[in-house]
Amino acid sequence: MTAFFLTLYVLIWPVIVAGVLYVLGKAFIQEIRDARREGRPLI
Amino acid sequence: MVPDGAGLHQLGSWTVIGLLVVFYGGTLLMTLFIGRRNENADGYMTAGNKVGFGISAGSMTATWIWASSMYASATSGYTYGISGPIHYGLWGALMILFIYPFGKRIRAVAPKAHTLAEVIYARHGKSSQLMLAGSNIVGSMVSITSNFIAGGALIALLSPFSFTQGILFIGGGILLYSLWSGFRASVLTDAAQVFAMLGAVVIIIPVVFFAAGGSDMFVSGAARLTPQQSNFFSSEAFMNQGAPYIAAVLAYAIGNQTIAQRLFAVREDLIKKTFVTATVGYGATIIGIGMMGVMALYAGVVPLDGDTNNLIPQMAATYLSPVLLGIFLIMIVGALSSTADSDLSAMSSIMMADVYGQNIAKEGKANPKTMLFIGRITMIVATGAGLYFASGQLNILDLLVFVGALWGALVFPVIASFYWQKITNKAFTISVIVALACFIPVRFEWISMGGLTGLVVDLLSIVGIGVVLGLMAFGFFGLKTAKIVAAVAMLAVAPFAIGVLHDYAVLSGSLVAYAVSTLVCYFMCFRNQATFDFASIKDRIGDFDNREEANHSTPGTLLEKKA
Repeated sequence: MTAFFLTLYVLIWPVIVAGVLYVLGKAFIQEIRDARREGRPLI
Repeated sequence: MVPDGAGLHQLGSWTVIGLLVVFYGGTLLMTLFIGRRNENADGYMTAGNKVGFGISAGSMTATWIWASSMYASATSGYTYGISGPIHYGLWGALMILFIYPFGKRIRAVAPKAHTLAEVIYARHGKSSQLMLAGSNIVGSMVSITSNFIAGGALIALLSPFSFTQGILFIGGGILLYSLWSGFRASVLTDAAQVFAMLGAVVIIIPVVFFAAGGSDMFVSGAARLTPQQSNFFSSEAFMNQGAPYIAAVLAYAIGNQTIAQRLFAVREDLIKKTFVTATVGYGATIIGIGMMGVMALYAGVVPLDGDTNNLIPQMAATYLSPVLLGIFLIMIVGALSSTADSDLSAMSSIMMADVYGQNIAKEGKANPKTMLFIGRITMIVATGAGLYFASGQLNILDLLVFVGALWGALVFPVIASFYWQKITNKAFTISVIVALACFIPVRFEWISMGGLTGLVVDLLSIVGIGVVLGLMAFGFFGLKTAKIVAAVAMLAVAPFAIGVLHDYAVLSGSLVAYAVSTLVCYFMCFRNQATFDFASIKDRIGDFDNREEANHSTPGTLLEKKA
């Protein structure tokens, strides 16, 4: 593996983690809004 | 920050106290917003069986990411080179993925269950139930102890506090926010902790990479790697790290009540989405953290005291600024807290549902208040036991190997119990005991592997490979495909495995456990004429708590009642 590909190999994981963080954050906020709108507890 | 004499930096006492107070204080405040004066016993165990996608996926991700998994991934990267973190993180992530098809089946059979052992009780009876529940308890106890040790060691390394003070901070903080609301507190705080953890990973990995020299590190440090370490398809990494972990994929998923609890808690139509997201989240996080081990290898870092568990804190203390070191501390504390609170909830649920609800109370007469009392006492006792074991700094991961084998022996009997009518309680129990009896001498190399013994172990290991891959295929594609996959896998590996596999004690021990439990269970049952109505399980497992004052369908929290 060249230094370029090793750099990509190391730095790709934080990018994927950021994507997961976005998906989870969006869903979490939506669930809080839904619970408030429906007048029920979040959990 | 002051250098500690080993070239590393430390955080000051008040900084560490401030960070822990903010972390555990914030977490406690969250749980007060959902806490009830009259908690519901079923809610304490499964949060009402209808948790949404964001919270459940966040919770599953946070639960599976524990401090030891971060350390182990970095150790794998440091030991086996560039493929090391993949061989740790990828297979660990697949544990989450491969359980969901079985989870959907189990949930369909018992939608209101609280623990997997409870369903096994309805299917078979006490001995099978207590065997599974016992292994769940031991596994959670090992996990919680390991997390306390990781937390204590980290605080001792990064601050002036001692190891003992560190584990007391961690244990007390986790118990404080978990005790009153149980699983409801665990699952909600997990979702918050996952944002802290994943956010820290996004920042810390690139910062360490560039601080350690960036791309130039891979040029200047290339000579430090052996040919195996610099090979992405390293056979050494696969045989010593990857293969034993692939063998453990289903075992850890079946044997861990923290996964089962989330399977029963999430809304039924969201199981697949939740578990696929958690697979990606866990895999990317743990492989990413493992890259710190690879970077340490290229940079020529020597682990402090020769202990590779010090690699991650060492890299952080070497390359991060004081602010980022504080974020790093929160990342590790978040990882170990989210797993430890889940283990506390798992153990309390087993004691509530399996020990009290199914075995002590008369059928249908379980008292919800007594159940809650038992759940809370369990949490206190488990935390105390975890602190006691952690203070001895036992090599707890050796015990995890044994527990993993016990779970491996349980995999076929547990999974088959939800699909195959012919399995009996007797076959379940005997197959697990015989498999364990065969596993122990192979794993701990008590017997010579020369001649016929080595050949028998190799043949059983080949069957074990067929069982593992067959069960994985069965979950997604059904029985016909599973049989084809198992047969092809056994035929494909046989020429390479015979004469070789018995030299790898960890791998062959696990595979023998799978093979023996499957063969014994199958041959004890295949002529059995008895039938079983799976629909009857649904009628035998339901809510324990129908008290009006503990109804959670309307808002009304501890904080609101006090106001």
